[in-house]
Amino acid sequence: MTVLLDVREVRKSYGAIKAVDGVSLSVGVGEILGVIGPNGSGKTTLFNTILGQVAPNSGQVLFEGEDITGWPALRLSRRGIGRTFQSLQVFGGLSVRDNLIAAAQEFDGGAGGRLFARPDAGLGGRADEMIARFNLGHVAKREAGRLSYGQQKLVDIAMAFMPRPRLVLLDEPCAGVNPALIEELLGLLQSLNREQGGSFIVIEHNMDFVMRLCRRVVCMAQGAVLAEGTPDEIRSNRAVLEAYLGD
Amino acid sequence: MTRALGLRFGLLMLALVAMAVLPLQLKSYGIYIITLWCVFVIAGMGLNLTVGYAGQISLGQAAFLGIGAYTAALLAKLGVSYLLIVPACASICFVVGLGLGFPALRVQHHYLAFATLGFNMLCFLVFRNEDWLTGGTFGINDIPRPVLFGWRITRAGDFYQLVLLVLVALAVLMALLLRSPWGRAFAALRDNPIRAESVGVNTTFYTLMAFAIGAAFAGVAGALFAPLVGFIEPASFTVTNSLAMLLMVIVGGQGRFFGPAIGAVIVVLLPEWLRFAADWYLAVFGFLIVVMMVWLPGGLLSLPQRLADRGGRR
Repeated sequence: MTVLLDVREVRKSYGAIKAVDGVSLSVGVGEILGVIGPNGSGKTTLFNTILGQVAPNSGQVLFEGEDITGWPALRLSRRGIGRTFQSLQVFGGLSVRDNLIAAAQEFDGGAGGRLFARPDAGLGGRADEMIARFNLGHVAKREAGRLSYGQQKLVDIAMAFMPRPRLVLLDEPCAGVNPALIEELLGLLQSLNREQGGSFIVIEHNMDFVMRLCRRVVCMAQGAVLAEGTPDEIRSNRAVLEAYLGD
Repeated sequence: MTRALGLRFGLLMLALVAMAVLPLQLKSYGIYIITLWCVFVIAGMGLNLTVGYAGQISLGQAAFLGIGAYTAALLAKLGVSYLLIVPACASICFVVGLGLGFPALRVQHHYLAFATLGFNMLCFLVFRNEDWLTGGTFGINDIPRPVLFGWRITRAGDFYQLVLLVLVALAVLMALLLRSPWGRAFAALRDNPIRAESVGVNTTFYTLMAFAIGAAFAGVAGALFAPLVGFIEPASFTVTNSLAMLLMVIVGGQGRFFGPAIGAVIVVLLPEWLRFAADWYLAVFGFLIVVMMVWLPGGLLSLPQRLADRGGRR
């Protein structure tokens, strides 16, 4: 499998605390990688290092062979890396449809061209497709900030996929979401992966979700990779059971 | 066109016609006041872009009004055509506004408010102390009314029509800007700058543009203000005036297209209507503002939404 993202020996310390301690991992084209681990195991710091929000003390992050270590969010997004956040991050004053268009409108052409572009920036069709896919048709014209938590979560995730990124990093997509919506989310992510062919890295505490969605799982503990393998291998790994999954 | 949209368009056209014929019903002071209202609406539209649509804060809009007014006055005295004065005022304010946008890239909220307030004070000091250019505390008087295509617009009613025309033209430009993808990017910047960056919105660029375009609108307002009053002095461009403009945007409804127009009714026209209260008129005005802000923090234009929400809860 062709490697899309290659994280090499990344280290990040805060004083004496080693938040990320020499982590290496890779994600192939079209692959869904799960990252699990107890709280404080370094998952979010690793995420933030990949996304340029935290400068590593050492190590490299390569995307399609290009060194992207420390790139700012804007540059990463234009390189084809999308993300969702642990907490809801929508544009509350914009309609759902405008949220989706806003998530993709800046990727083509220059600012001058966009000033004179059609109001929907030529993305209305794609936004409507995404709205239909995420079952948001009945709230498409409503302000995103006035929707329920679950609906906003769907908008949030749909936005990450609007520009058709090559890689999406999803930070706890199931946090605060009810079981029925988790099922819906699982189906949506599986179909997006199948149809758009993008790669995902998913940080998640919901083991059932991770095990069903991901083809490969990395378990972190104390800033380092404890184990790596298929969901079945991880489920039966003694070290993972002791450190995280329990009996 | 949907029925609701058609109705809104019809009402807007009706309002425009009413405004165009308004001078026929008014004496010269009344015409002066509604012309002043138009000027403040233009400056307010610019500030609404910066504050309401792009989510920045500015306590420096009066400084841009001043820069526009002094530029217009000086160029008019030199005999420069008014057709060149307006774009010159807009361009100068655009560039200075771009400069004022840079602090916004580093600080937000009250820190940014103080940075822009400092800018206003700095401009005030330049207007007051640089006598050789601005006339200092004595200001610049006898500013001529514009001459357009050989026609000197001296009558108050004619000048009002010109200002109204400029206001409508700028409102159309603003509407087009806000309907374009830029408008959506400004809203994204306002609602969630972190998410905006992650979806490719260049927040640096749009922050600077929000300040620069907002300032350019104030520059045009200044270019109309100078020939309207005929005499300008530093006291017209203090922080107090910037606060009045911010009040205008907030009372009307920030981030709402007609917010500045409604806000300017409250800030420019209401004090005139309250003059029957003699010495108490400013006290009554202040009390009304407090009541409005407490009852309708989203501005007067948020009233329908508020009523709908209340109806929905029942």
